[in-house]
Amino acid sequence: MEFSWEHFFRFLFGEYMLTGVWTTLWLACVAMLLGCTLGVVVAFMKMSRYWAPRQFANLFIWVWRGTPLLVQMVIIYTVLPLFGLKLGVISSAILALSLHEAAYFAEIVRSGILSVNKGQTDASLALGMTWPQRMRYVILPQATRIIIPPLGNQFTLMIKTTSIASVISMEELFRRTQQLAQFEFRVLEAYLGAACWYLLMTTVWGEIQKRLEAHYDRPFGPLSDDDGKKPERPVTGDAAAQV
Amino acid sequence: MTMDSMTDTDLPPMAGKPRDLGPPIVVIQNVQKAFGSNHVLRDVSLTVRTGEVVVIAGRSGSGKSTLLRCIDHLETIDGGSITACGNLMGYRRDTGGKLIPLGDGKVARQRREMGMVFQSFNLFPHLSVLKNITLSPVKIMGESPAKAEAHARELLARVGLPDKADAYPAQLSGGQQQRVAIARALAMRPKVMLFDEPTSALDPEMISEVLDVMTDLSRQGMTMIVVTHEMGFARAAADRVLLMHGGEIVEEAPPEEFFTNPKSEHTRLFLSKIL
Repeated sequence: MEFSWEHFFRFLFGEYMLTGVWTTLWLACVAMLLGCTLGVVVAFMKMSRYWAPRQFANLFIWVWRGTPLLVQMVIIYTVLPLFGLKLGVISSAILALSLHEAAYFAEIVRSGILSVNKGQTDASLALGMTWPQRMRYVILPQATRIIIPPLGNQFTLMIKTTSIASVISMEELFRRTQQLAQFEFRVLEAYLGAACWYLLMTTVWGEIQKRLEAHYDRPFGPLSDDDGKKPERPVTGDAAAQV
Repeated sequence: MTMDSMTDTDLPPMAGKPRDLGPPIVVIQNVQKAFGSNHVLRDVSLTVRTGEVVVIAGRSGSGKSTLLRCIDHLETIDGGSITACGNLMGYRRDTGGKLIPLGDGKVARQRREMGMVFQSFNLFPHLSVLKNITLSPVKIMGESPAKAEAHARELLARVGLPDKADAYPAQLSGGQQQRVAIARALAMRPKVMLFDEPTSALDPEMISEVLDVMTDLSRQGMTMIVVTHEMGFARAAADRVLLMHGGEIVEEAPPEEFFTNPKSEHTRLFLSKIL
């Protein structure tokens, strides 16, 4: 069968696929927001000086990073009802995606916070700040700069990973593409269309991420030149102390 | 040696540099501190009076920085007590006189009475110079932003950087960063300033700009405890110079005596290496 441009464009801009794109987009955003929020909580639990929250965080990260998302999603959708917890398709997809994300994001947040120079804690302690004040005004703003690149990567992954929700019949971009391919037996046209939409979403997000990174990098040195090359940053803080 | 029993008349004379010293403001009594098996402070006692400038010298590993950090309770202590600006730093006494560690918020409040300057400056790189200085007065002390900014600009002028308010730390030289750090500490209107090797990370040509600011500060009557190797500063600004060795204060004298007639063998050895 010849490749049909006509089918391709009909799929690409057809309402059926566009609805799928929209579903993928909001699913990714909601799961990311919930996952990151939960991830921050887990990160602070893991850094707690108390044993119980630390162990809970370790267990959580161990389980959710150590098993495939596909398995997690199927378990949440089909096994939990056996124990009386019946979740719909959308809730199951959101829950699985955000718990999975939380496990990864917790480690990202933790390493971001730990990578803020120890001297920053000393300085904020000496200025009379309490723990919440140190976090809010000194540590987290600096950790954010370190967290944003991996956070961006996670969101790019998330946009693509939502396709796994198709196994529990969530009508997102991938499942709708599958259906289109089957209805009209135009496999290549349908999947090529889906690929274009995924690529567009990840590319647009990539641009947003670049701007976010530049924004948070600004105080640390001059902005990138037009040629995209970054001037070297002046030596500061502990780096200077070690020279 | 300890200074537990020290009374006013025992204080070293201020030869050639008469100064009005007030009542004791930092009292360190028999402080012990160990990192694991490494005993870094051995029964250290020291009394610093209001308006006094005390320089602490010593080789690295002698415990001088640890002592300074203990005063601000950036390190816990294993024995003894430290009273600064009327606060028992980091602890409270229960009815039986036992020391109970204070919570984070209470210690934070105690630290607001003192300023500290670090070897590696530790400016907040995500904030402009002005915001570095006004952060604590505004967010922690509740000062009005306008008042805090006016004070910050005044302090910047005082440390010789009136035009750097909007710069970011990364755009400043080491000496400039350290002067901003001093302004930031002063913005809290501290009663005591602690300096932890403030010039050790600086290129030689930048050391004097920082020392000049510190000397000015001492002339204005600020109580200062300075850990440094800059013996020129000790000579010019200190009321007392101490030498620490192996976690103990082994020498303690006014600068003239410290440099010309040291009692301890450690001091003679130290001076022969550093001068």
